[in-house]
Amino acid sequence: MAVRVVTDQVSVETAVVSRRGIAGTIARGLTANRKAMAGLVLFGLFLVVAILAPVIAPYDPHALQFGQMVQPSGAHLLGTTGTGQDIFSQLVFGTRESLLIALAAGLGATVISVVVGVSAAYMGGLWDHILNLFTDVFLVLPTLPLMIIVGTYLNNRGLLVLVAVIVITGWSYGARQLRSQALSLRNREFLEAARARGERSLYIIVFEVLPNMTSLIVAIFFGAALYAVLAAAGLQFIGLGDPNSLSWGTMLYWAQANGALLAGSPVWVLAPGFCIAALGAAFALINYAFDEISNPALRPVRRRK
Amino acid sequence: MSYLVRRLEFFVITLWAALTINFILPRIMPGNPAQAMIVRFHGRVSPEAVKAIEVAFGLHSHESIFQQYLEYLRNTLTGNFGTSVTFFPVPVGDVIKQGLPWTLGLVGMATIIAFVLGTLLGMLSAWRRGGFFDAVLPPVFIVISAFPYFWLGLLVLLAFALTLGWFPLGFAYDLTDSINLSWSFVGQVIWHGFLPALTIVVTSIGGWILTMRNTMITTLAEDYVKMARAKGLSPIRIMLMYAGRNAILPNLTGFAMSLGFVISGAILVEIVFNYPGLGFTLLQAVHSEDYALMQTLFLMLTSAVLVAVLAADLLTALLDPRTREQG
Amino acid sequence: MRRRDLFISSLAALALLAGACGGGSSGNNNNAQKTVGGVLTIDNESGALWQCDFNPYNGSVNGQSFGVLYEPLVYDNLLNDKKTPWLASDYQWSTDNKTLTFTIRSGVKWTDGQPFTAADVVFSFALLKQHPEADLQSDWQVIQSVIQQGDDKVAFTFNQSAVPNFYQIAGQTAIVPQHIWSAFKDPAAQVVKDPVGTGPFTMSACTGQNITYKRNPNYWQKGLPYLDTVNYPAFLDNDPANAFLAAGQAQWGGQFIPNIDTYYVAKDPKNNHYWFPPIDNINVWFNTTLAPLNNKAVRQAIAYSIDRPSVSQKGEFGYEPPGNQTGVLSPTFDSWIDKAQADTYGYKFDVAKAQGLLQQAGFTKGSSGIFQDSSGKKLSLSIINIAGYTDWVASVQVIQDNLKQVGIELKPVNLEATAYFDKLFTGNFELAYGSVNTSPGPSPYYELRNTLHSATTAAIGQTAAGDYGRYKNPALDALFDQYGGTTDPAKQHDLIKQVEKIMLEDVPVIPVTEGVAWYQYSTKDFAGWPTKDDPFAAPAPWNLPDWEVTLLHVYKKS
Repeated sequence: MAVRVVTDQVSVETAVVSRRGIAGTIARGLTANRKAMAGLVLFGLFLVVAILAPVIAPYDPHALQFGQMVQPSGAHLLGTTGTGQDIFSQLVFGTRESLLIALAAGLGATVISVVVGVSAAYMGGLWDHILNLFTDVFLVLPTLPLMIIVGTYLNNRGLLVLVAVIVITGWSYGARQLRSQALSLRNREFLEAARARGERSLYIIVFEVLPNMTSLIVAIFFGAALYAVLAAAGLQFIGLGDPNSLSWGTMLYWAQANGALLAGSPVWVLAPGFCIAALGAAFALINYAFDEISNPALRPVRRRK
Repeated sequence: MSYLVRRLEFFVITLWAALTINFILPRIMPGNPAQAMIVRFHGRVSPEAVKAIEVAFGLHSHESIFQQYLEYLRNTLTGNFGTSVTFFPVPVGDVIKQGLPWTLGLVGMATIIAFVLGTLLGMLSAWRRGGFFDAVLPPVFIVISAFPYFWLGLLVLLAFALTLGWFPLGFAYDLTDSINLSWSFVGQVIWHGFLPALTIVVTSIGGWILTMRNTMITTLAEDYVKMARAKGLSPIRIMLMYAGRNAILPNLTGFAMSLGFVISGAILVEIVFNYPGLGFTLLQAVHSEDYALMQTLFLMLTSAVLVAVLAADLLTALLDPRTREQG
Repeated sequence: MRRRDLFISSLAALALLAGACGGGSSGNNNNAQKTVGGVLTIDNESGALWQCDFNPYNGSVNGQSFGVLYEPLVYDNLLNDKKTPWLASDYQWSTDNKTLTFTIRSGVKWTDGQPFTAADVVFSFALLKQHPEADLQSDWQVIQSVIQQGDDKVAFTFNQSAVPNFYQIAGQTAIVPQHIWSAFKDPAAQVVKDPVGTGPFTMSACTGQNITYKRNPNYWQKGLPYLDTVNYPAFLDNDPANAFLAAGQAQWGGQFIPNIDTYYVAKDPKNNHYWFPPIDNINVWFNTTLAPLNNKAVRQAIAYSIDRPSVSQKGEFGYEPPGNQTGVLSPTFDSWIDKAQADTYGYKFDVAKAQGLLQQAGFTKGSSGIFQDSSGKKLSLSIINIAGYTDWVASVQVIQDNLKQVGIELKPVNLEATAYFDKLFTGNFELAYGSVNTSPGPSPYYELRNTLHSATTAAIGQTAAGDYGRYKNPALDALFDQYGGTTDPAKQHDLIKQVEKIMLEDVPVIPVTEGVAWYQYSTKDFAGWPTKDDPFAAPAPWNLPDWEVTLLHVYKKS
């Protein structure tokens, strides 16, 4: 999994936005940002493939009817697996589960991040201290060993378990970032105003604080999705996924179990690994772009001629 | 000094949390070590032998959970980690002693290289904002950091060890050699560790670069940097001593805390490269449901990160007056 | 990665079939060209670093000591049951087959120079009696007493006729030196760092990643071994081990290698070879206490619904051959198979026949294409399997596909190994995929008895040692019991043929494929390897104690 350096250096200069302007701000930021565009296009491509999988894939991805470890050819663009399944079809259908895991785990982790991070910042005092400590503890625990242990002991290889394990180990980074930003917002005038109006805390958080953190939350979502893609691949690679399911990580597991790289079918390993890297890169690019949007100081400088 | 007090509190609580997670997880999950033993022997152990193992491991404990917990804490804190099921009857401590130096060496070296190189590149990138480095490095490393560690490891192994034959196919040193302090042995260790270290450096350096770049950009806007520029100090001096130093400091602890991520990745790298470290031992322990070994490994890895965090905290407190004022 | 057989290496019990002249002494022909010397490297995925513990009574490490360091009384060749005197120079059964007397070989020395005596043998067995956890072969389940008679005789008495137990007692139990082991309080848990044995090699150096064995110059088989040094590296995973072997850095492999012809043989077609002799059956088990699996016709129908050659090809790359319904391994035990009898049943993939049997049993095909019983309940079965054994998972995918064509729904349940064995042993399953988890033996009797004898089973919920399907057939039990009481090969063959008849008619389990001993060897620098034509030992490095016999035969080419 990619290294994410834990840092408190989250923008304090976030512009206060009105609720109506959020979408516009983000859209404008995105279209002006080449990294984000590249990421979005890549992500969109995978989405299309996932939706149109039955149309794109030439064969049933589970069918065992072909020769074993056949080399790539016109009939089998990427060759076949050790049990005679079409690798290209598996890759196409595998997009669905890989994408699902990434988005579901990304969403789950983001929700926890927001709840913990923002409430810590907003409640302050002892609560903040405890929640912050809690976050830091989860941040420091080595995630893969924890995931491996939890995953093995749960003794259930379902998708839900995989997602849950990733969410449990993946929320803390975002919570920390959100807390920092929320802290910087806490004493802003518009919040003071809301409090003066006598709005309830929950109302203030949901309708005043969160909208101003949208771009960071979006960044965190894609960061968590990136983490999920890599974590799921790692777990499935070492055999903690359901071997009968169809995703890129599982494909790598089967390829590795059959020694594909060395046995003359490197494509079997290269293709799913490449897809994981590409989807991960898409998420990473979007994540980075939104980091830049939420912190304008980081934006690339356009050089004038 | 309340900064340090807070950090110490964090240290103790995290350690306690790791200890407690270790205690709870195996107990709320199904399975028992004797069954795991059968698995390890491909099931070819008679149930009679299994019963013998159960007795030998003292599995039929009648103590209450709380008593077990206290005993567990006492044992762990006194360095008594129990006996490994996987490597029965070797004490867990001995199993770990065997793999620890290799993992520490590999991950430690790779992290230091990635940190130094990444920090420098990040500084440069921010200093020459909009320049070549700044235009090329961030996107390149954003993409590379999205690669699965193990996958990159497999590619590197295929290219440099199997196809080109430049590097060995695994192990920490030549098979038939024994550990000694000669130069040729050190050379072997470096030669064998190069590819796994390269994999870790390449996949982890992006994080350091980007973080350093971002903090550096903020720092460069500070008044004291502008002042230094106005005074006409040499750019290199400003970059390293003024902006760079102040950009690193607040990140030191963060860097240390991120070690958990690196260790996680290194575990998979070790498996790919047949590197005799703790990563594989952990996987082995999990497959045999080796409670004692697993608990201790998880604890070791957490402690390693924690010690790094604490060291970074101390260093920060020492070098950065701001933390002392914060309180 | 983590295929079946990865963890077998350390198992004493797993010594195999493979026939012919098993004695080290037989390696002496053609002495002219065989000189002492050479460094051989073994390639076998251990899945863990070496712990440098050379205790033959500890099941997790005995794979590094039993054979080359510690030896058995008799080397029992499993394929043809040919027995070669080893530490015992002779043995004799009493007429009622309840007493077995060994003559202990004279002139054998422990590697520390002390003489090996009958007292060491008595001591070793007494140790196992006192410490059942060290008795890996459960020898004392049948032994009543072990007594020294005179200087060089040791008499074993049994509580029943124990002819088949010869294999475990004489062939699979290591003998240790009394003068060292009498100091060990807990022999199963003792860490033995400096092993003293009678074997052809001594342990000279051990690190986590490699064990170095050196030639024992005073070995009791004069002139042997030929090899000077044997290296045994620890491979954590299958892939690095395969790469190492393919690169020619090791000469003797016990590895599953996918696409072995391109991966291994093609690297050096003249010298790189492999041979995979079958050693056990991988079955579909029925829980015979459940309807409709208690119905013979349904079991027969399922036996006709499995395309064994296809499972072998797709699931196992064809390396593990298709099984046959007699339950007798082929070609390993071909002489035991009643071909004519098997042919009258002719079990093969036959959709029409399977459907006919199901219809006779009262099933009708539903609208979904799946058979259902008279109450409209679908013929849908779950099968438990080990998720980590990718070849088994793939095999069940093929079976699932086969059964679907007939009209039976199969739902694979892939479990962690621990959970799998728990369900298998306690009978908590409908169908199960896997082999019986006891050691195979030198005739079909061993595996079939453990698979089918009701004495090995237990009530549902209790742990069964074998017969996980809870199959009960008194006539069958009687056949096995008679086998245990005779040393007459003709009678034994006749009894097994009657067992085959029951396998064919009653289908208590379905043997689908045959598990093999993985074995690769390079003739570039070394000769004298076991081969299909000269199977003097079970050939995998994890075949205990057979690897000793292989290492006694192999020599460096000059």
